Amino acid sequence: MLPIDAAAHSSRWRRRHPAEKALLGFGLTLCAVSLPPWPGAPLVAATTLAVLLGPAGVPGRALWRAFRIPLGFCVTGAVPLLFEVGGDRGFVALAPEGPTQAVELLLRTSSASLGVLLFAFTTPVSDVLPRLVRAGVPAPVVDVALVMYRIIFLLLDSLSKIRQAQAARLGHTTRAATWRSLAGLGATTFVRAFDRAQRLQSGLAGRGYDGTLRVLVPACALSRRFLAVTGVLLAGLVALTLVLERLLP
Amino acid sequence: MHIAEGYLPPVHAAAWGVASAPFIVHGVRALTREVRSNPESTLLLGASGAFTFVLSALKLPSVTGSCSHPTGTGLGAILFRPPIMAVLGTITLLFQALLLAHGGLTTLGANAFSMAIVGPWAGYGTYLLLRRTGAPLMVAVFFGAFVADLSTYCVTSVQLALAFPDPASGVLGALAKFGGIFAVTQLPLAVSEGLLTVLVMRLLTQSSKGDLIRLGVLGGRTAERREGATA
Repeated sequence: MLPIDAAAHSSRWRRRHPAEKALLGFGLTLCAVSLPPWPGAPLVAATTLAVLLGPAGVPGRALWRAFRIPLGFCVTGAVPLLFEVGGDRGFVALAPEGPTQAVELLLRTSSASLGVLLFAFTTPVSDVLPRLVRAGVPAPVVDVALVMYRIIFLLLDSLSKIRQAQAARLGHTTRAATWRSLAGLGATTFVRAFDRAQRLQSGLAGRGYDGTLRVLVPACALSRRFLAVTGVLLAGLVALTLVLERLLP
Repeated sequence: MHIAEGYLPPVHAAAWGVASAPFIVHGVRALTREVRSNPESTLLLGASGAFTFVLSALKLPSVTGSCSHPTGTGLGAILFRPPIMAVLGTITLLFQALLLAHGGLTTLGANAFSMAIVGPWAGYGTYLLLRRTGAPLMVAVFFGAFVADLSTYCVTSVQLALAFPDPASGVLGALAKFGGIFAVTQLPLAVSEGLLTVLVMRLLTQSSKGDLIRLGVLGGRTAERREGATA
């Protein structure tokens, strides 16, 4: 399993309704993106971190491992903002507003990423997909996504085993061998994906498959208390940011 | 190149979502039609989507010495056609955001526009054009994958330049800046992805001819000719 999905399946909030967690996680992300980066983003980031490490019980190390990926993209993406090209001060020069813009972007992207991670670390994708039909997503699209979700892990497992087998046969020792092994890996994955689909089809045909994948969705009620606390938290964050924006330099 | 969560200003994020919507809706209609007329294709399409997701887990050696991963949009578009790829690509991007923290939800529209729409259409258009002018399959596959990869990065550069215009030279300056940075890594990567796609397709024509004929990549005559050549 992928680390985020494994953490989501064993999360303390696993039994909570996905809509509750979506409101909280995506609400925080929306706040991070729409509020002024200073002081909005640090406030949103601090709140999200407190929820993640506190009530949601996400392990700090797992969170850092997942967070460093978007953080790397954020840092790389902020670097070009430090420079300007084709101005009066030379072909490439430091942009006067560049550092401020780059820091604001870093703050915004980091806090927005944490909001999505809050949802991802507490809600397995398998809990979300079957409920999307009620949200208006066409059933065939949801069914395709469900099959994708199930086959992805099998294919990733095959990929890792084939890679190990190729390495054991000196398949990665030279550049030419690496290319051959990569091509073999891609083609074998394709063949296995289609083989898996055909076997799944045979199995389902024996069980009266009529084109709809019926899965059990664990019943869980929406908690009004959770929704109310989330609403107050988000409203509080917006209000605090707008007040602090006037007070702080 | 996935645009990270929160990277785009809200108006830009929403605008790219609106721009992607018609293509995704068109793809959803095509997929729904296909599934309703042929129920077992759900499983085949799911397997195709999973293959697209897993392609991005392949580490590709780059000419610059570093490693990156293929976008898989060219191969996906050649195998499954661009409208279907718009849906499969968007689901893949959603999974990448939720399972790998790669990309984002506010930037899903922008990422879908570059990776699930422009890349597949540009790559497939190039592939089809070359095939119709009589180019050999592998040449068409190489340029299809190359153009799909490169057009994805060009669109990403435009998206970033529009969001962050250069203070001195505006959008064009920013486009040169982001495009210049991408060109160093992405030109060699586009060549690498083209080569990898050719190698994968060569193996597939040997091992999964039936699947390729069913997907319409190989015509009956092409397959027979290949069989004759092998014999």
